[in-house]
Amino acid sequence: MNMSTTAVLRSEWIKVRSVRSVSGSLIAVFAATLLVTLLVFPTLGQAEADKPDNDSLFFAFYALNFGQIAAISFGATAMSAEFLNGALRISLSAVPNRDLFYAAKMSVIGCLAVGTGLITSLGTFVVGQAFMGEYAVGLGESGALRAVVGGGIYLALMTLAAAGLTALLRSAVAVLSLLVPFVLIVSFVVGDVAGGAAQYLPDRAGQLVLHQTTEGSLGPWTGLAVTGAWAGLALLVGWWAVRTRDA
Amino acid sequence: MNSIEVHGLTKDYGATRAVDHLDFSVRPGRVTGFLGPNGAGKSTTMRLVLGLDRPTSGTATIGGRAYTRLGKPLHSVGALLDAQAAHGSRTARNHLAALATSNGIGRSRVEEMLEESGLGTVGGRRIRTFSLGMRQRLGIAAALLGDPGVVMLDEPSNGLDPEGIVWIRELMRRLAREGRAVLVSSHLMSETSSFADHLVVLGKGRLLVDLPMEDFLDSRSGPGVRLRTTEPARLRKALIRRGHAPVQGDDGCWTVAGVGAEEVGPLAASEGIPLLELMDLKPTLEQAYLALTANETQFAAHASTTPEKD
Repeated sequence: MNMSTTAVLRSEWIKVRSVRSVSGSLIAVFAATLLVTLLVFPTLGQAEADKPDNDSLFFAFYALNFGQIAAISFGATAMSAEFLNGALRISLSAVPNRDLFYAAKMSVIGCLAVGTGLITSLGTFVVGQAFMGEYAVGLGESGALRAVVGGGIYLALMTLAAAGLTALLRSAVAVLSLLVPFVLIVSFVVGDVAGGAAQYLPDRAGQLVLHQTTEGSLGPWTGLAVTGAWAGLALLVGWWAVRTRDA
Repeated sequence: MNSIEVHGLTKDYGATRAVDHLDFSVRPGRVTGFLGPNGAGKSTTMRLVLGLDRPTSGTATIGGRAYTRLGKPLHSVGALLDAQAAHGSRTARNHLAALATSNGIGRSRVEEMLEESGLGTVGGRRIRTFSLGMRQRLGIAAALLGDPGVVMLDEPSNGLDPEGIVWIRELMRRLAREGRAVLVSSHLMSETSSFADHLVVLGKGRLLVDLPMEDFLDSRSGPGVRLRTTEPARLRKALIRRGHAPVQGDDGCWTVAGVGAEEVGPLAASEGIPLLELMDLKPTLEQAYLALTANETQFAAHASTTPEKD
């Protein structure tokens, strides 16, 4: 009569898809990215590519900046649904093994995020490059496939970081108002100023995988690994919180 | 398996002791009413039983095992803690399906419980559109999904309409008849007295009473009778001669404290006084409870005006 991991995974899958704001943010990862791709590339794409210091591969994933906001919302809302009006008590009454509960939830969130991330990353690359004319980068070119795969993984890691942080802070609003300004502003500003250390910020490091060439001490995959470490840290503190706190 | 055992259970929140060395058990085959003023520790105790909060000391077990050690716990224990906790964006059916699936319970059981709780036609509606009464029904449906031997309900009749209150009362009686252990907290004394066989009463986190309902009522007051007669003056004299103090009520009935029907009846007969009505007075649960908790109530000033959950 032990709990089956498959059963708990299926239960978490039902939970994710049955709350509209959660499934909505997941769809928004793809939808927002594609929308921005369609707005930017036909109009500004070729002009941007003409600039001398342009990394045309990195620019191909410009729209992921918006997709990652949706990815963060997905991770945050999927986890915060458990902290609304004590829903966690109902969940833990059904699955009192908190390690299993947390692992199953994060696995479902992570798998959905990787799947959606890869489709989104590939989608924005293919659609965007269709409008780039002579500047277009092919999937076969050096680093392109790595960037597409890495971009998908990057979105998933940001999702998991948000989910882990939500387990700690117990509020999607708190996590969103922390992570979104961080990604949009702090990292952007500090990144240009601080140089060396700034490349270890979670979003900066992970986005190295999207570059044709990297300059600092981090390569494309090691950069993504740094983001992975950040996400892992967030997942660990979330795990600790779910494990130790009264529900 | 069908029992809850609480031993030396203590829970501190910071400097506040919510539950203080509780010892009681909930036995199968009867409904145990769980009473106490706001903040007495009833909900905390229930959370501790479910392993949601961790005790500062002591244990709470289900058939001797900690809740968190139960495999597929919904088959052993069904609990309704807070009807508002179900996520409003989910449909009732999805809410139950997520719970059922995690414990290997099939979809047909979900439909069955929707029907049984009177939510058959609204299973596809989002929970946020539900009234409090409908949420209570959903919470009870969720508690009974796994056909558990132990059922624990926190204020289940809260928000229910009269029909719903009858339904929940009959349901609890049936669950007990089927040999399950049923623990039900409530603020409504007349409600509780209509379904509970046994009482556990808390005050300031401590156990005040753990008694069968009848024993509790008897323990809280002496005997007394209420009677109606065609010759009140003669009967009054006869009673006063025996040292009793009959009191006439507004409705023409007399009440006599400190004496039982088995004494008054023969007395009237020997005097040749016809009695139209004679009954032993039982204190209501409400009277007995209020007498007990009068000095234990933390928030006496608010208790009568704010029927909120603790």
